Formats: sequence, C-alpha cells, structure tokens
Amino acid sequence: MMSQHFRNAVVDTALVGSVVLLLLFFYAPIVTLVAFSFTSSRVLTFPIDGFSLQWYGELIRKPDFFPAVINSATVAAVSTILATVLGTAGAIAWIRYRFRFQNLFRVVTFAPLLFPQLLLGVVMLLWFSVLGNWLDFSTGLATVIIGHVVYITPFALVIVAVQVYGFDETLEDAARDAGASRWEVFREITFPLLWPGIFSAAIFAFLLSWGNFYVSYSLSGTARTLPIFVYSGIAVGSSPIYPALATLNFIPALLLVGLAEFMRRRALKRQNAAQPVS
Amino acid sequence: MKSQSKTWNDPVLVAAVAPLAIVMLVFFLVPLAMTALLTFQTTQYYRLQWTWDLTIWTEIFSKPHYWTIMLRTVGMALICVVISILIAFPTAYALTTRLKTYSAQIQILIIFAFLTDAVLKTFGWILVLDRQGVANWLLSYLGLGPEAMDILFTPTGTMIGMVYNLAVYPMFTIYLSLARIDRDLVLASYDAGASRIRTFFEVTLPLSRPGLYSGAVLVFVLSLGAFLEPKVLGGGTSPLASELIRQSFETRVNWPLGAALTIVLIVIGALTLALAAAFVFRRTPAARRELA
Repeated sequence: MMSQHFRNAVVDTALVGSVVLLLLFFYAPIVTLVAFSFTSSRVLTFPIDGFSLQWYGELIRKPDFFPAVINSATVAAVSTILATVLGTAGAIAWIRYRFRFQNLFRVVTFAPLLFPQLLLGVVMLLWFSVLGNWLDFSTGLATVIIGHVVYITPFALVIVAVQVYGFDETLEDAARDAGASRWEVFREITFPLLWPGIFSAAIFAFLLSWGNFYVSYSLSGTARTLPIFVYSGIAVGSSPIYPALATLNFIPALLLVGLAEFMRRRALKRQNAAQPVS
Repeated sequence: MKSQSKTWNDPVLVAAVAPLAIVMLVFFLVPLAMTALLTFQTTQYYRLQWTWDLTIWTEIFSKPHYWTIMLRTVGMALICVVISILIAFPTAYALTTRLKTYSAQIQILIIFAFLTDAVLKTFGWILVLDRQGVANWLLSYLGLGPEAMDILFTPTGTMIGMVYNLAVYPMFTIYLSLARIDRDLVLASYDAGASRIRTFFEVTLPLSRPGLYSGAVLVFVLSLGAFLEPKVLGGGTSPLASELIRQSFETRVNWPLGAALTIVLIVIGALTLALAAAFVFRRTPAARRELA
C-alpha cells in the first residue's frame, strides 16, 4: 500500500505542477514574441537564426505605427479617468447604500462584463450609426472612448467595491463627531482609505483600454488604435516588427501591474494592522 | 459592514448613482433596444429601410446555414468551458492551499498576461503553433513528432486561443470561492475521521460551487463572441457566429441581419445565465441566503 506521505507528496507535486504548467501556457506566446523580437532573420521560424536589434531600429526608422500609439494613449487616458470615477461612485452606491431600484442598478452596471465584447461593440455601433445619421456625425475616437467606458467601468467598479467592502466606517463617524463637514469627511477619510482600490482600478482600466481590440474595432471608424494597427498588419502577413512592437508594449504594462498590486497589498496590510482584533 | 438607507431625495445618492446609470442607459440599454428594433427593418441597395416586417427573421429561421454555425459556436463554447474549468480549478486550488507564499507574485503574473493586448498575444500564438514554430520544434526536439503537426488554422488552434483568453475568469471566481472557505470546516472534517480525498469531495468542492458555476457561465457567455481566435488562429476554415456577424456588416452591409444574429447570440447567452442562476439558487443554500 502507498504510504500516506508518498500520496500527499504526489498530490502536492501535481498541484504545484499545474500552476507551473499554467504559467508556461500563459507566457508561451508572450515569451515567444519577446524572443522573436531579437531575431536577425526576416522570416519568423524557430529556432531563431541569430541575435540582432535591427527590428527595433526598423521601428524607429519607420514610425508609421506612431499615430496609432497617440490615439491609443488618448483613448486610454480619457477612458481611464471616466471609468475610474464612474466605477468608484458606482461601487460606493453598490455596497454602502441601500436604495430603491438598487438591484436594477446593480444588474445594469454589471451586465457589460457578461457581454462578449464583440456584441457590445456591434450593439453600440448600430446605435451610433443610427444616431450619426440623425445628428450628422460618424464614429471615431470619441465613440471608441464611450465604448471603452461602458466596457471597462464594471471592472473598475468591482475592484473598488472590494476596497469599499473592507472599509471601516467608524472612522467616518469619528470624523463627523469631531465636527468635519460631509466634504471634509470624504476628502480626509473616505477617499484616502479607498485610494489603493481606486488606483488599482485605474491601472486595470488603463491596460484594458490600451489593449482593447474588439470594442475599438467596431467603433473606431477610420481612426486606428494600436491593436487595430497590429490586427490589420498581421492580416496582411507577419513581419518581425510586430514582435519588437509587442516587447516594447509589455514592459510598461508589467511595471504598472506590479506597482498596482504592490500598492494594494501594502494598503491591505496596513488596514489589517489598524483594525482592532475582533 | 453596515450600509446606509438612502432615498432619492438625497443629493449624495443621486450624485453616486445618476452619472453611471445615465451612461449605461444611453450607451448600453438603449443601443440594445435599438438592435432589437433593427431586426425588424430591411435593406434595399445597401440602405436601411424603416419598416416593420419579419423578412430577416424568416431568413434566419429558414436557412440551416446560420444554425449550423450557431450550433458550432455553442459547441466550441461548451468545450472551452470544460477545458477552462479543468485548467482553472487545480491552479486556483493550488494557489489557496499550497503556494500561499508566492500567491501574490503568481497572481501578478497571471493578471499581466490577462491584461496584455489580445491581438499581440494571438499573433504570438501564430509563432508558437506554426509548422515551423516553437511547439513543433519542441516536439521534434523531444523526439515526439517526426512530422510537423498542423495546429494552426484548425479548430484546435481556435480552441487553444479561446481557452488562453478566457481561462483567467474561472481561475479568479474559483480562487475567490476557495479563499472564502472557512478552514475550520476542513479541519473539522479531518477530526471527524474523513480522509483528505473525502474531505475534498464532500466539503471543499461543494463549497466552491458558486465560483465554479459563475466561472463556467462567464467562459461560456464570453466565448460566444470569440472573433480573433477563429479569424487569426482558426484561419477562417470553420467560422463561428462572430464571423457571420462581421460578414453581414462588412461584406453584405445588411444591418438588420447583423442585428438579428447579434440578438440570437445574446438570447443564447441570457438563457444560459438564467438557467445557471436558477441552478445555483436551487443547489446552494448559501447563495440563497446571501441574495435574500
């Protein structure tokens, strides 16, 4: 008979192994892109011929992707601000208040998360086209921003809601007892305590918008964001400039994700340390 | 935490609710209604005619072509759910029980992979799955495949991409469910003499059901709209519903048709959601209590 110890060891190894396999799976295309960005060959076959930085040079020499970067950055910046503000207000209403039609509010504000992005984009495209016929405008960056806000706000809402959920409201009571006005309570107590959640939500929102393809594809009209630039590029044929572009794309994203998680965890630790043992 | 009752006379409540409610109303609910309305219109010479007829719906219900593709889409979605759950459960379980020290770092890595540009990642899969790509090189290096495997531009390629893009959702819902399980319940089960395996199947697994179900539903609903994967990795050989929708807009310029196909997919998704909600509601008393 197998000993208990041996069996436990097998289970442990299998479980840890599953995480390792998952990470390998998740990073297979990402690592491959980074590796291919340093190829010296024009054809993208493995194993890679030799090391070179020529495709990064090519990117600098032929910066036709640059307008797309500007568009993506504009869209991401504006959508991030709108989605984070709306998401924060929504999260407070979700968790802290009780009001009539609250369930309806919850369903409607959560629903875009359950929508395939393509369908969300199509539904909004139809609306903007009909509206555009009446009011004489066509889809462009502004409609992309609206689409991103609708898609991303539920994500921001959920992230901030987690922070609101762990919120210690006695601190607000204390401030109010000490004579602070409503606005002062919000500025001095509520906002600083929710800030880590809001910050993570903003980072999340920025990256979701920056990398968004589906919603932009439906709503951008003739304007191009970076994912659309890459999509129309790879539809024509693969070229080694895309791995280089991808690698440049990964570095700031990884830093931002790391920073957001670090902030969130530090705040959580502080919160737990500050709370009395119950 | 306690929550404050508020009435609609309170400006604070209006300020918190109104902006988001208006955005969702004007840019989500109204467009949905509009889409439903458009399915009863027709097109002539690529221009929309405002009428009220059932041409589009009779076309959709009378042509098996649409339903073959819809059925394939649902089938792919179901396979995607099964594979995603099989991948997500063990990893979420390992993160809550075995790898607690590194759990934060691993989660950052997963979130980063999830948040990165989907087009670039899908392009990365081309380089991995290509005949002369990394996967085939690795297989022949290990001496496993004398001939190159054709994965790219097949439904298998599509499936790999779909699982890749969606497996994160059940990972997080299951992780949250597992993390909330009271450790004392597990210990009590051991005390009562149950083996680890029995405890897992009779305590841990039933308690993780909400995460399991919600993760499964998320993957199913979201995979109904998969577009990049069949297009880029599937090579367009066996198109899914998304391709039909794209064609009806871009190639045929038939908005009512595209709107109707969109509505069909939304109805399939909504029915699944309703069914799953009823199921979870019936099976887990905890969920019922929470909702009450």
